[in-house]
Amino acid sequence: MSDWSDVWLVVPVYNEGAVIAEVARRAMQTFPNVVCVDDGSRDDSAAQIRTTGAHLVRHPVNLGQGAALQTGVEYARAQPGAQYFVTFDADGQHQVADVERMLKRIKSEDVDIVVGTRFRGGDTSHIPWIKRVVLRTVVALSPRTKRLGLTDAHNGLRVFNRTVAEQMSISLNGMGHASEIVEMIDRHKWRVAEEPVTILYTEYSMAKGQSLINGVNILFDTALKTGSRR
Amino acid sequence: MLIQVLLILAVVLLLVFFLRHHGKSKTAASVKIGFALFMVFGVIAVLRPAELTRLANLFGVGRGTDLLLYGTVVAFGFATINTYLRFKELEYRYAKLVRAVAIQNAEKPNAEPAEH
Repeated sequence: MSDWSDVWLVVPVYNEGAVIAEVARRAMQTFPNVVCVDDGSRDDSAAQIRTTGAHLVRHPVNLGQGAALQTGVEYARAQPGAQYFVTFDADGQHQVADVERMLKRIKSEDVDIVVGTRFRGGDTSHIPWIKRVVLRTVVALSPRTKRLGLTDAHNGLRVFNRTVAEQMSISLNGMGHASEIVEMIDRHKWRVAEEPVTILYTEYSMAKGQSLINGVNILFDTALKTGSRR
Repeated sequence: MLIQVLLILAVVLLLVFFLRHHGKSKTAASVKIGFALFMVFGVIAVLRPAELTRLANLFGVGRGTDLLLYGTVVAFGFATINTYLRFKELEYRYAKLVRAVAIQNAEKPNAEPAEH
């Protein structure tokens, strides 16, 4: 088994009390360093996290997933010995085995960030078709995503090194951060690679997952953000 | 006419309020000037509707009131976006504050995590 003591898992948590302890515990069997960012949950998420041995950072109010990720990255990069960082979903969609594969790649190849993809090789039939269509459309509409050779910009599973962690600054608090990270990859010229990953669409994660309508909000925020850059 | 007095009073009050409220903040000077011009335009529209109609005809608009309406729509859109951007900026600062508080109060895991 590899030594992953220089790896930090960043897990944004919002009202995931039902599953977070299980998800964190399973991740911690492989990765000793996990920081859960409780984004102002109204349920017992924080109490559940305390039972797992993960670090707990709590937003006093709810801000959104983008803000929680940024908080987690800032906390993790301040920890001694932290070299690699992983953004990992709290709802049990992501596989530890995928993370290990991505980490091996980032350690052996000349890349700064490895992004998970649902659309590179392999079977995509487990992805709900409407999600498939929307995600494909988003990629097709974004010239930047295409230029960078990305096939799944909205995958929450990412592995990156210290350079990326230091430069990362997510300003969109909500769900627009996925596009924002793609934009950062481009702007900071991070070397990016994709790794096929499996997303487990459990009933739980489907119920919690973001609605497609929210895509409109993301588009709006992203458009105005670009317009307002000083 | 009463309506003229009322409208002009409203405009003047708005202008005074705006200038006093934003006087010390860093609102862009151009925004202030634009707002002041818009107010002057409003006063003229109230006092000299005929002039406004002539101006409207110049732009290919039938009536002065229509021109005023179009101008208002544009101004409203501008104000909305301005407010939206301000909100976003505020949200960003708020997030930074929350983040600082959260990281300060971070809980490291206990040496011996509770078993279940």
